Amino acid sequence: MKLPHQRLTRRLALGGLAATTLAAPARAQARPLKIGMITSLSGPFAALGESMRGGMRLLLTQSGERFADRPVELIVEDDQARPDDGVRKARKLIGQDRVDLLCGVIHSGVALALRDVVTEARMPTFLLGSANDLARRAASPFILRPTKTNWMLGSTAAQRTHQTHPGARVVTAASDYAAGREFVGDFATTYQGLGGRIGRQFWTPLGTPDFGPLLTAIAAERPDSVYVFFAGSDAVRFLRQWKEYRLAGRIRLMATGACFDQEDVLPAVGDAALGGINTFHQSPTAPSSAAFVEAWGATGKGLPGEFSTTGYVCGQVIRTATERSGGNPTDWPRTQQALFDAPVETAFGRMPFDPRNGQAILDIHVNEVRAVDGAMVNTVVYTFPQIRDPGPDA
Amino acid sequence: MPDALGYGAVQTLNALSFSALLLLNGLGLSVVLSLMNFVNLAHGSFFLLGSYVAIFWLGSGAPWWLAFPAAFLAAGLAGLLLDRFPFRRFYARPHLMQVLLTYGLSLIFADLMRWGIGAQILTPELPDMLKGVVFIGDMPFPIFRLFLIGAGTVLGLALWLLLDRTIWGAVLRAAVTDRGIVETLGIDTRRVFTVVLVLSAGLGGLSGALGAGMLAAYPGLDEEVLLLALVTVVVGGLGSFGGSVAGALVVGFTLTFSKVWLPEFANLAAFGALVLLLLVRPAGIVAPALRRL
Repeated sequence: MKLPHQRLTRRLALGGLAATTLAAPARAQARPLKIGMITSLSGPFAALGESMRGGMRLLLTQSGERFADRPVELIVEDDQARPDDGVRKARKLIGQDRVDLLCGVIHSGVALALRDVVTEARMPTFLLGSANDLARRAASPFILRPTKTNWMLGSTAAQRTHQTHPGARVVTAASDYAAGREFVGDFATTYQGLGGRIGRQFWTPLGTPDFGPLLTAIAAERPDSVYVFFAGSDAVRFLRQWKEYRLAGRIRLMATGACFDQEDVLPAVGDAALGGINTFHQSPTAPSSAAFVEAWGATGKGLPGEFSTTGYVCGQVIRTATERSGGNPTDWPRTQQALFDAPVETAFGRMPFDPRNGQAILDIHVNEVRAVDGAMVNTVVYTFPQIRDPGPDA
Repeated sequence: MPDALGYGAVQTLNALSFSALLLLNGLGLSVVLSLMNFVNLAHGSFFLLGSYVAIFWLGSGAPWWLAFPAAFLAAGLAGLLLDRFPFRRFYARPHLMQVLLTYGLSLIFADLMRWGIGAQILTPELPDMLKGVVFIGDMPFPIFRLFLIGAGTVLGLALWLLLDRTIWGAVLRAAVTDRGIVETLGIDTRRVFTVVLVLSAGLGGLSGALGAGMLAAYPGLDEEVLLLALVTVVVGGLGSFGGSVAGALVVGFTLTFSKVWLPEFANLAAFGALVLLLLVRPAGIVAPALRRL
C-alpha cells in the first residue's frame, strides 16, 4: 500500500523544526544506547521488581537520560519470576528489540537460565540474582555481576557471630529452597570452621502460613542465637510471630539482610524487628549510599531497600561502563577490561570486579535494626570491607 | 526438652489455632460448594479483601472489634454484586464453566487490588488486648491465637445452628435437593441462593480479617488461602457441615505436627497423609448422607 503524501501542516512544520534544533548538538554516533531490563513485575517478587525498576529509572533521570552523552533507552520486561518466561523475554529483547546490553533479574533460577542464553548470544549482560554458582560454575565471559552472592552474606554472619558471641550455640531456620540452603550452608560451614557449635537446623517450605510450630520448637531448644533466612511474606510472618511468641529479647536473632529488608519487610513488621542483626551489602545508613538515599526519599518512597539500591547501582555500573568505553559499552572486551582495571564508585560502596568471574567485590555491612524517629532503620554497626566470593576456588 | 508437657500443650494449641483459621476459611467455600453445587475459585479474593478492610480499619483508630463486621459487610457486598452478575447465570452450568469464570474473576480481582492498594506486604495493628501471651508451663502462647480458636468455634457453631437447626436452613437444603418442588411451595429459590452467596463471601471476608493477624496481606495471598480452603473442604467431605470441621482439624493437625516432627519434609508428610486418607475415604472424612435422588 502506498502511503498518502503528508500535507505540510503547521503542527508538522513545528515538530520538524523542534526535532532538527534538538538533534543538532548530538553527535553522529549518538544512536541511543538500548538497555534491556528483565525483572519480576508480577508474581511473588512483584514489589521487588518495581523497586529495581524504580532505582534504575531514578539513575536515568539523574543522568538526564544520557550516559556519556549518548541517549539511553530502557526497555523493561517482566519475567514473572519464572525461568522459562525470563528466557523468552531475553530472546525477545535480544532478537526483536536488538538491545545493546541486558541487565536485571531477581530470582536466581531466572538468572541461571539466562546465563546460557546470553552467553550463546554473546550479549553483554549485567546479571543480578545471588546464587553462588553465578560466580562459580555458571560464570560467563559475557556477564558482569554488580551484586552479592549468598556466600558473602552467610559467611560474614558466621564471622560476626564468632566475633561478638564466641562459643554461642546457634540453631538455624530457613526457607527450604536453593537460596536458604546456600545461606545456612555457608553460615554453618564458616561458623564450624571457626570452632562454633551449630544446633538443630530447621527447614520450612517457602510460603509457610504458620510459624507457630517452628517457633515453639525453637523456644524448646533454648539456643543462644538463631540464624535465619526468610524473605518477603515469610519474613514478615516469621518476625511478627517471633515477637508474638515472646522470643524477641530472649534469643539473639541473626539473619540475612533480606529478612529485614528496609523496603519490603521493616514497614510491615514494625517494632517486631527491633534489635535484629543482619549481614547485608545494602544499608540506608551506609555512607556510600547517602546521596542515593536522599534522592530516593525525595521521590516520596521512604528509605530504600535491597532492590531499589540494586537497580540504581546496576545503572551506575552501566553508566561507568559507557563512559570508560567512550560511549560504546558493546565493545565488550574493552568495557570489561576498563571495569576490571579500576573500581566503580556505587551506592554499595567502592566496587571492584573480580577478573576471574566478573563478580563484584563488596563491603558487607552488619546492620542492627534500631528505632529512629519511630521508624525501624537498618543501622550499620560494623563493616566487613571488600569481601570476595571464593569463585572458581570454591 | 525441659518441659515436655507444656511443649506438647502449646503445639496442640498451635494446631488448634491453625485449624480454626482453616475452618473459617473453608466454611465459606464449603457452603456454596456443598449447598449450591457452585465452585467459587474467587473465594480467596473475598479473603484478601477482608484482610485489607480489617488492616485499614484497625489502622484508622475506630473501635477495633468493628473491623470484623466491616470486613464481613464489605466482602458480603462484593458477593451480592457478583451474584447479580455474573454468578447467577452460572449456578446451573457445569463445574468446568464455573471454574473458568471464577478463576478468571479471581485474576481480575487480584490485579484490581494490587492496582488500588499496591504490592507491599501489610499487617494489622492488633489491639493491646490481643497482644499478650499466656504461659503454659514455661512455654508462651499468644492471646491472639486463643482469640482465633474462640472465633472459629463460635462462628462454626452459629453456622451449624443456622443451616442444620433452623427452618431457613431446611429450606436451603431442600432447594439444593429439588429446586422445582421448593418453588412450587411458593419460595423464591433465587433469593435463597443470593443469601447463601452473600453469606459465603462475608465469611470469606471475615476469615480474612481474622487471618490477617497470622498471615499478613499481600498480592498472592488469595491463591494461597484458596488452596488451603480447597484441601480442607475436600478432605472433610462435601455436603456436610461436620465434614468441614473434621477437615479443618485433620489438615490443621497434620500440617502442624508434620512441622514439629519432620520439619524438613513437612509438606510431603502432611499432604502424603492427606492423599492416603482420601484413598481410604474418597468422599472425605464425613461422607455426605445421600440426599440426591
